[in-house]
Amino acid sequence: MKQTTIRRLISLGMLGALVLLFSCMSSYYLNGDNLLEILRDASVAGIIGVGVTYVIITAGIDLSTGSCMALVGMTMANVYRYTLLPIWMMLLIGILVGLAAGLFNGLVVAKLHLPEFIATLATMGIFRALTYAIAIRDEGGVITSQAMTYSSFVKWGGAVGKIHYVSIAFVIVVILGQLILKKTRFGTNLYAVGANKKAAELSGINISKTQIIAYMVVGLCSAIGAIFTTARIQSTTALLGNGFEFDPIAAAVVGGVSLSGGYGDIVGTFIGALFMSALDNGVLKLQMNTAYQYVIKGAIIILVVMFDAWYNGRMEKLAVEKGRKEAVGS
Amino acid sequence: MRGINISKFSKPVILAVFMLVLTVLRPSSFLTVGNLSNVLWSISVYGIMVCGTIFVFLIGGIDLSIGSLCGLCAVTVVKIIRYFEYSDTGVVLGILAALTVGILAGLIHGAIITRFRVPAFLITFATQIIFLGLSMILTNNKILSCLQPELFTDIGMKKIFSFPVPIYIMLLIALISWFILRKTALGRYVYAVGGNRPASRLSGISDTKIMILAYVFSGFTTAIGGVVLASMTQQCMATTGSGYETEVITAAVIGGVSLLGGEGTVSGALFGAILIGLLNNGLNLLSVPSTEHGLVKGIVIIIAVGFDALQHQEKFKNWLNQFKMKKTQEAA
Repeated sequence: MKQTTIRRLISLGMLGALVLLFSCMSSYYLNGDNLLEILRDASVAGIIGVGVTYVIITAGIDLSTGSCMALVGMTMANVYRYTLLPIWMMLLIGILVGLAAGLFNGLVVAKLHLPEFIATLATMGIFRALTYAIAIRDEGGVITSQAMTYSSFVKWGGAVGKIHYVSIAFVIVVILGQLILKKTRFGTNLYAVGANKKAAELSGINISKTQIIAYMVVGLCSAIGAIFTTARIQSTTALLGNGFEFDPIAAAVVGGVSLSGGYGDIVGTFIGALFMSALDNGVLKLQMNTAYQYVIKGAIIILVVMFDAWYNGRMEKLAVEKGRKEAVGS
Repeated sequence: MRGINISKFSKPVILAVFMLVLTVLRPSSFLTVGNLSNVLWSISVYGIMVCGTIFVFLIGGIDLSIGSLCGLCAVTVVKIIRYFEYSDTGVVLGILAALTVGILAGLIHGAIITRFRVPAFLITFATQIIFLGLSMILTNNKILSCLQPELFTDIGMKKIFSFPVPIYIMLLIALISWFILRKTALGRYVYAVGGNRPASRLSGISDTKIMILAYVFSGFTTAIGGVVLASMTQQCMATTGSGYETEVITAAVIGGVSLLGGEGTVSGALFGAILIGLLNNGLNLLSVPSTEHGLVKGIVIIIAVGFDALQHQEKFKNWLNQFKMKKTQEAA
């Protein structure tokens, strides 16, 4: 079996072990409804995680996703409140705003050559401030949340049968993301840029174009995430997605995407998002004080990461030894 | 003018321009000793923390847990002072305990990251959650105030020569960390490990030891930051210090510290912290509403760092050299 296949099986196994652990500890954990709930809760972080994975593969990072969600949500709220445009136009405008935010990130990173971390940290503040600037205010000028209850919009927060729309979107985005990453030239370019920028440039890859498109994909994914989130809570506030930016990154890193670039894929992020969501859900089901929940959650992440690293090191050692033996044999 | 490298002076230039703008806009309130000492006072906790965390950045790691670790140390010191009924012994023991907590946390980070070779991002992301949980357990989700004894409150509030004590602590820590990085072999090893880890190992540096030391030093300064913060606010709660990690990382990166390791100076990091302090102060003096601070801050960060990044770029350097040569030719 190939090395990557084994790794995938191991991370799936860890997810299974986690589910098993929690099903032993709580009788409310292992049933269809709750598993679908886990998938639903993983979806928004996972959808954004797909875009973030692209950026991390190019050795970048995006911290502005939470603020970008808020900006998209608030723009849609403005369209909802002050215009008579149909709902599909509202969604389109939201997606365009997300793409524009991604384009801005990409331009700052690729053209001004700012470090990705600091660039997106700055735009995180900028997008949030813009959200406040266009926020819906009442007569006294106080920022209020805008209810968005039009039925053809709210239905996106619901479910078809028992499966939520957002979960379906998550799976579609993951499949599309994986196909683009593995089967197109753009996907290959992402790996090349992340693994060795100089070499990629010398082999004729347009680095800034690749980076800008990657950031625009994050913007697009954030917009999709914002649409489903606002449809689910049927309103939006200026604080939407506050502190959310680390969740997609954590999903990607748990799924084996390397923060130094050039390694990882979307299926890994998918498993990572499910893992984080299963963990959150399980710790909640233990019905303990929040403080103890935090400690347990942190401890489990550390254990899993340590096991993963230990296993990787072992496999590497075995591979080296095997290679050495073959070399001696020949 | 030959021989003067502009890029070396870009940071002081940015600071000077910034202060000039604020002086012109608010002549009576900005350029006073009281206000400047306030700016330094408000950044002293970031300043103290960034002087230690820079070691972690220099070896190519990252520490996301410093915010909640700072809170945990603040909770520790306040808890112990209250346990000893606000006596001076309690203060000394509390500070020692907080420093121990910080150093232990650094030791744990370092040990796990080097022993298991795991991404520092994930481990410190997890310990951030754990430390927050521990603080919540210790405080029982309440605000603990601590208004006495004087020995404790003096750390944050007492003024010596019209500057509060935290500023002196910040300068002392900065001096120590500058000395270690610039004047000792250890400092050179830190840069070497961050610049190229395999190469440093092959040249006989114990990279594991250096990395653990970096995390320990980061934990140590974070603990000092926590004690100072608790003393400044004379209270603590579980969320004390939350969000400080982004401020500290921002300060470091504005100051030219590379998160990939091997690049950056203490003076640069302090410059970043001071720039953030001036920005906050200036925006307040200009009465910009706090919801819009992010916009101005973000744009200033992009311009300041972009200007700095431009200096490092080949194209810009070539253009500048050509420009200079033309000038000298014309002069001749």
